[in-house]
Amino acid sequence: MHLTVFVACVVLLFLSKGLAANVGSRRRLVAAAVAVVLIATVAAPPPAQAQGSLIAAVQAVLNVINGVIQTALHAISDVRAAGRNLYQSVAWPVELIAQARTQVLEMMNRYRNLMASILSINLKSATLPAPQALESLMRDHRINNFSSLARAFGNAYRPIPASADASPEDRAMADMDDALALDNLKTLKATDSATDLELQAADSMENAASQAAPGSAPFLTAVATASSIRSQALSQKMLAAELRQEAAKMAHGNELRKRGATFTLQLRGVLINLLQHN
Amino acid sequence: MKRKILSILKRSLAWIRKHKLGTAALVLVLVATAPPTGSGQFLDPCCALLAAGLTTISNTLSSVVGGGLNSILSVEQSISNFEQQVVWPQGLINQARALVGNLQASFNQIQTLTQIPVNSATLPGSQQLEQNLLSRNPNQIAQTTAAYNAVYGTVPSETDAPAQVRDLVDMTDAAAQAAMKRAIEIDSLADLELQAAGQITASVQNAAPGSAPILEAQADAWLIRANAYTQAATADLLRLRAVDLADSSAELKIGASNTANLRQGLINLLQHN
Repeated sequence: MHLTVFVACVVLLFLSKGLAANVGSRRRLVAAAVAVVLIATVAAPPPAQAQGSLIAAVQAVLNVINGVIQTALHAISDVRAAGRNLYQSVAWPVELIAQARTQVLEMMNRYRNLMASILSINLKSATLPAPQALESLMRDHRINNFSSLARAFGNAYRPIPASADASPEDRAMADMDDALALDNLKTLKATDSATDLELQAADSMENAASQAAPGSAPFLTAVATASSIRSQALSQKMLAAELRQEAAKMAHGNELRKRGATFTLQLRGVLINLLQHN
Repeated sequence: MKRKILSILKRSLAWIRKHKLGTAALVLVLVATAPPTGSGQFLDPCCALLAAGLTTISNTLSSVVGGGLNSILSVEQSISNFEQQVVWPQGLINQARALVGNLQASFNQIQTLTQIPVNSATLPGSQQLEQNLLSRNPNQIAQTTAAYNAVYGTVPSETDAPAQVRDLVDMTDAAAQAAMKRAIEIDSLADLELQAAGQITASVQNAAPGSAPILEAQADAWLIRANAYTQAATADLLRLRAVDLADSSAELKIGASNTANLRQGLINLLQHN
């Protein structure tokens, strides 16, 4: 456009040279040419852009949105929906969670009191005062009356003979036997008390299980397993006590055998001497 | 200065008057080479087309992308609600942690119960042995034999007992002492198990639902170990009872042998008379 206007102006100027003889006409012509150029420049529309490429670009963007993006969004939505269904129907179905909680409650109601009543049946059977006292103390699950237990034990089984009444070996063995028996009775009182605490802990864990969620249950299972370790440790303590007791019982018998062998040899010697003298 | 400017202007006007055609050409060249003016945003067909295109894109983005994202958001919110209310409800997780804290207190009591002193012997020899047996200290095992011998005596010498009796006595003493030593070991192991269980319980109290199963797995491993120790103790108990049974049998055998010897001795005695 600018080029066209420029060419037109130049032509006008040359024509003005030839046509206009006087100075005034030429001036007007030049002024007119300049005015034409200026008006054309200001009023001329900008150069036309290619409208076809813009439409194609917009359409391309729309195609991407309707094609790739829409498909991807649908796919993501489908995958997440499938995940939700998996969670709700397979991994953590609410109905089965509720059913499990109900089962815990039902089993609590069915077994807990029954088992507690079985365990608390009175087993005491002694009939005389001293054994009754000992039996009562050794089954009371208390750990703050060991001295009473020792007294009751002494009353039921009598104290160690005085040194004038028995040989040192017999006194030592009797003291060892009594000590291990009494040790174990004390250990059992402590273990009974620990068993009570374990049962309370089991009840608490079962109560919590009846209200637990899949996400809180791992805490309960972990602490239950840790409790099982403790339970094993307590069983081991009792086994250790039984080992000591059995070992002491065998050692006692063996000590008698040692003395018996010595007495037998001494007796044999005495008899031989006796026969020889006759 | 003013004069100077006026003078320059006068000279410029004079030059323009002289070179009218050149001035006109210069103006034309300047106009022709001037940069194009900015196009008006109104009444421009190109802008209108662009606006229509952008509106279409915006509408499509709203419906396709926005709709798709809303659909995903809806599913995500549903999953999030399900996880927060059904799978991992914070309230129940806190309750479980609180319960673990309460149980830890009970378990500490149990640990204290296992350490209550139960010593009861009254004479020096038996006190020494009892102290050793209840020590829960494996380093004390080396002193068990001496303390045992002080109470139960040693194997009789060759001159004091026949060989078969000495064998029997030695075997029985060995089994009894081994059981006593095993009891010290088991007590010590049980103490360590109680410590480990306490440590695991304390960790569970501060765990997350995702880390609690790891602690449970560790506790399971400890439980297996504890079962193995229980089995070791049970095995020693069985050994002790087996030796005891063999002991009874050996008594019968020795008794039969002694009876046969006595019979022979009596026969010999009668024949001599």
